[in-house]
Amino acid sequence: MKFLCIPCDTQMETQTDGIMPKEAKNISLKFKCKKCGHMIAMLTNRFETEFVSKLGVEAGGKSELADTPMAMVGSQLAEGKEELKQAAAASDDSIEWTQEAQDRIQKVPFFVRGMAKKTVLSFAKEKGIKVIDGALMDEVREKVGM
Amino acid sequence: MKTYDDLTSDGGSNIMDQVVHQRGKLRKRLDKIKHKVSLMSGKGGVGKSSLTANIAACLVSQGHTVGILDADLNGPSICKLLGVSNDQKLKITQEGVYPGIGALGIKIMSMDMLLPNADSPVMWTEDKDASAVWVSTMESTALMELLRDTVWGELDFLLIDMPPGSDRIDNIRDLVPELEGVIEITIPSSVSQHIVSKSITKNMHMGVPIIGLVENMATYVCPHCNEEGTLFEGEDVEQLAQRKNIPFLGRIPFDSRISQQTEADSLFYTENSNSVAGKAIESVTNNILKFIKNQSQ
Repeated sequence: MKFLCIPCDTQMETQTDGIMPKEAKNISLKFKCKKCGHMIAMLTNRFETEFVSKLGVEAGGKSELADTPMAMVGSQLAEGKEELKQAAAASDDSIEWTQEAQDRIQKVPFFVRGMAKKTVLSFAKEKGIKVIDGALMDEVREKVGM
Repeated sequence: MKTYDDLTSDGGSNIMDQVVHQRGKLRKRLDKIKHKVSLMSGKGGVGKSSLTANIAACLVSQGHTVGILDADLNGPSICKLLGVSNDQKLKITQEGVYPGIGALGIKIMSMDMLLPNADSPVMWTEDKDASAVWVSTMESTALMELLRDTVWGELDFLLIDMPPGSDRIDNIRDLVPELEGVIEITIPSSVSQHIVSKSITKNMHMGVPIIGLVENMATYVCPHCNEEGTLFEGEDVEQLAQRKNIPFLGRIPFDSRISQQTEADSLFYTENSNSVAGKAIESVTNNILKFIKNQSQ
């Protein structure tokens, strides 16, 4: 799928920041015109989100998730072994994620999870926060307007 | 206004690059495995998994290294047959997920290994109202991950134990284009042959090589007097193979011990290689090896 800015007749670019979707699986993806800077958001319903999510690709390019063995199976199984979940869990050497934050990021659909993690981490780093918890994730979501 | 084809870039979605990356990883993994063979049947309950396990045992007894991918995602049975317990902890590194080691050192990957309990079902969502529309997509991706992210190492054979039906072969054909072929399994019943016949026709249309047809549960061997009796009425399976112009790999009699769960480091074939069924399994295995040898010449 490609997006075209009609007035400029120019292809719009996927924006890899500012993504903090609700875990309810309704996703907003931003696209920006390279020429005039106009932005639009593509909104997906739960069914569209699930479908794309299960393809095992990430919007805006692969994150470290792509190199996690059986990342899709581990994150999509309603009941999977703990080792699988841990392998796909959020991790960053310098910033700690509380269990609640890890659980919430795991519930973000696969294809935007890398982007969502990046958004939260950038926000935390900008503010000098060392521990990411549920409250911070709520704050990020409110801030990015998604 | 520009059209889709005028927009040469992907707009930063990077989807195609990721697909290429995934395919590269899969290829790297599979290149270490010499021969990949699928065992399938249009029909369920014909003994695919038991036969897969015992053909694997026969191959090991001939000095080959063997792995089994349990492609029956919703009805996995290979772990149980080869004695890989569900409570074994998964070993996961950056290299991948390590396979379970079953009887005779056979490497196994199965959904059973990834579930927390022996009676856990495979469910792709906790949402009871979730649509079934995407389950097929999820299963295709899961199959790719099981193949690609398992640390198979170097193997002579990877046997792919398919689920009942013929729909999953499309995935396997796509993921493993170098597949040596499929072994079709039927029992003598006319219903089974009716369905397996469709499966054979589909594979022919798709250009999937067919190694041959196996008649499983061909007869019943009396454990007391070794006399063979008829178990199912139906068309001669060998005639079906002739009609379809595919090799007939052999008949395997019903033996209640074949599908027994492994208690020790053993399988039916290794314990009973001189039985009627044991010899039949060996004959079928040798016919498979002959086919592969002929194909490579």
